[in-house]
Amino acid sequence: MNLWLECTIQSYKGIYVITKNIIDTYIEQIPPAPEALKKTISFLNAAELTKAAQAAQDDLALSSYLKELVNKPIFGFKNEVSNISQIFGILGVEKSQQAVYNYMITLLSPSKWKMFQLNRNSFYNLQADLSVNWQKILHHLNISDKEIHSAITLLPASILVAEALFCQKKEDVNLLRSASAIDLNTILQRLCAMDLFDICQAISQKWEMDAKIGVIVQAASGVKPADDEAINILGKWMHLLLFYTLSKPSYIEAGLNDFIDFQIDYVDDIYSEFAQVMERYLS
Amino acid sequence: MRAIVKNGVGVFHPQGFLDGNASGVSFLSIDDIHATVHSNADIILVSLKKVIFFNRNGLDTFVKMFLKVRSENHIIVGFCDYDKKKYEAIQKFYKDELTFSLFKTQEIATLFSSNFKNQSKNILLYSDDKSQRAALAIELHDNGHNPVVAQTKKEFDDKSKKEGAYDFIIDETYLGQIGQQVATRVTGNAIIYTLSTFLDAEIGNSFNIAYHNNSLNVGFRLFIFDAYKVVSMNVHALNFFSKLASSGAEYNATICFVGMTFEKTPIAFKETLEDAGIMFFDQMNDILENKELLDELGASSAAGAKTKRPLNKSIVSELPNFIDATVATIEMMTNSRASKEAAKVEEIDIKNKENKIASSIGFYGDIDGMVILVFPIDIAKKACELLIGESTDDKELILDTLAELVNIVGGKIKTLLSDEKINVDITLPRTYPDVDALLEIAQAKKGVQVDLLFNDEKFLFFLTR
Repeated sequence: MNLWLECTIQSYKGIYVITKNIIDTYIEQIPPAPEALKKTISFLNAAELTKAAQAAQDDLALSSYLKELVNKPIFGFKNEVSNISQIFGILGVEKSQQAVYNYMITLLSPSKWKMFQLNRNSFYNLQADLSVNWQKILHHLNISDKEIHSAITLLPASILVAEALFCQKKEDVNLLRSASAIDLNTILQRLCAMDLFDICQAISQKWEMDAKIGVIVQAASGVKPADDEAINILGKWMHLLLFYTLSKPSYIEAGLNDFIDFQIDYVDDIYSEFAQVMERYLS
Repeated sequence: MRAIVKNGVGVFHPQGFLDGNASGVSFLSIDDIHATVHSNADIILVSLKKVIFFNRNGLDTFVKMFLKVRSENHIIVGFCDYDKKKYEAIQKFYKDELTFSLFKTQEIATLFSSNFKNQSKNILLYSDDKSQRAALAIELHDNGHNPVVAQTKKEFDDKSKKEGAYDFIIDETYLGQIGQQVATRVTGNAIIYTLSTFLDAEIGNSFNIAYHNNSLNVGFRLFIFDAYKVVSMNVHALNFFSKLASSGAEYNATICFVGMTFEKTPIAFKETLEDAGIMFFDQMNDILENKELLDELGASSAAGAKTKRPLNKSIVSELPNFIDATVATIEMMTNSRASKEAAKVEEIDIKNKENKIASSIGFYGDIDGMVILVFPIDIAKKACELLIGESTDDKELILDTLAELVNIVGGKIKTLLSDEKINVDITLPRTYPDVDALLEIAQAKKGVQVDLLFNDEKFLFFLTR
């Protein structure tokens, strides 16, 4: 089934807009997670890596995704890793879980990107960049909660949602944005009282991901802090990590740098700590 | 990346980290900037509002593009939307190489845009650099605003506390090279050029010879090169300055070097330059505060230009533009109405020489020539009141302010002509304390003379080449 939503955009007061209706249709069309995936995740939750690997092998797309992901340079393995149980073994429970969630998000990715200059490979790279740095941050913050490790996987979903909703009206959106400095998230929020991160949360619910993941990603939007201060801190780190990653030339060229608004004040108090963490790993 | 253009200011908004050699290029291309210039922006800026980290590499790619675009389009380029920390960081990164502009906010930049002219905003401004203070005030005034310059940080802090007293408050703002401002004018009609680092064959490209020649033509006779920051000079630069001196000799002009040390430059060069007529001084004040020397060096007397060029049709056909610009400015500054009495083509004719002062400004480019204005001293005083905020009888101060006023007229003329697709640049204005001083350079010149009447005071406009 083609999951990709054909955006129907209607003209309203001269500006092409996206309606709440379109968003509802979009969320409805998101398929439930396949059985093999669910099994893999529940085994990973129980820390049963061997069984999880067996389940994952049943899903060819998942196993090929895992192989491609783990052999990316950012993971730093010298030799090619191809066996799934070997992959899970190397990654450990948290990273394996994260990898599987990353895979679920890619199920939503389009065959051809229109709004952003991305492709399958560069999107995987983005996932890998975020995941690896997120691990460093959680290590620095001494956090071992598995769900929190996985929360980063939902962040690229906001990019997918923006691509899906805005792709057909790229020109109109760009025109609108050249007149006023508003990001896609704000456009959506103003039009439908629902933003990219609400949609991400809806996706996570549909896929029965842990509730905490959706909440952290909402906090990572930088505009909707959570009530729980601990989650807020994670949201800040994630927001800063997102912009740290999106400041890389390849993602700037892909048009990702300004798809949501960077909340510089939101992350001000953690910036120097963040810089230290990133520097420590660079040196 | 697309810029948001508002009131003639095009702003690019990168987000996140500007830390790589390539990041600037990824954010925007030279084509993006060109597109912005075409959408009627005369200031192009990169906002640092959403940039959490930058280093020199990150900024350099933007700066390179800025300088390229500026040399093609003569627009203002630089950064905006920063806090004190970022401002200081940029100052530290670039030190003496700060050739682009810095505006604390986009709104402040708008005040300098020619698309936001004559809004008569009351503006308090401060910079700890004296020449920046002057440059900012002149540009703002040029754009039809009312700048008030705080002379000290304390004065600035006190004044800025007054609520509602000013529409805008400007500090932590820096004007890099704007348009053709390669020199600074000082009291006594001397032109000061600033030199720095190594003087080599490049001086031939970076020194604006057309500007210099036109300054000579307008009647400037003393040119001072501020060479405190010069490290060394090679033989190519030596040749350049020797030639400059001998070409100026035709006009009886004097060239001085101030603060030049010969630690890393052969001392023989100094002798060669002295042979060419160039003088050397240790301190700027040695010249500027010595009135006798200033007079002797020709700063306040001018011998007539050797070449007399007739007026031509293209200049005369632009006459209404010149008159409009002049009249509008003087009317605005003196709050009076003007009426035209007579217009004729002949040698300059000033009937009553008493109580009159004069000023001239040259323009060059697609067409070239010179505008001379002869003011009754009362009108000049009135115009100056507006600029300096109080009435004064100090003639030197009046002349100085008059020069600024004429500069504004020149700026207006430049804009009006550019609307007609005629591009000209203007020289710095020159002033004359009395009519006789003016006649020394203008007597034999033929031109268009327009007599104007401002509140029953006769005012003279003369256009020549």
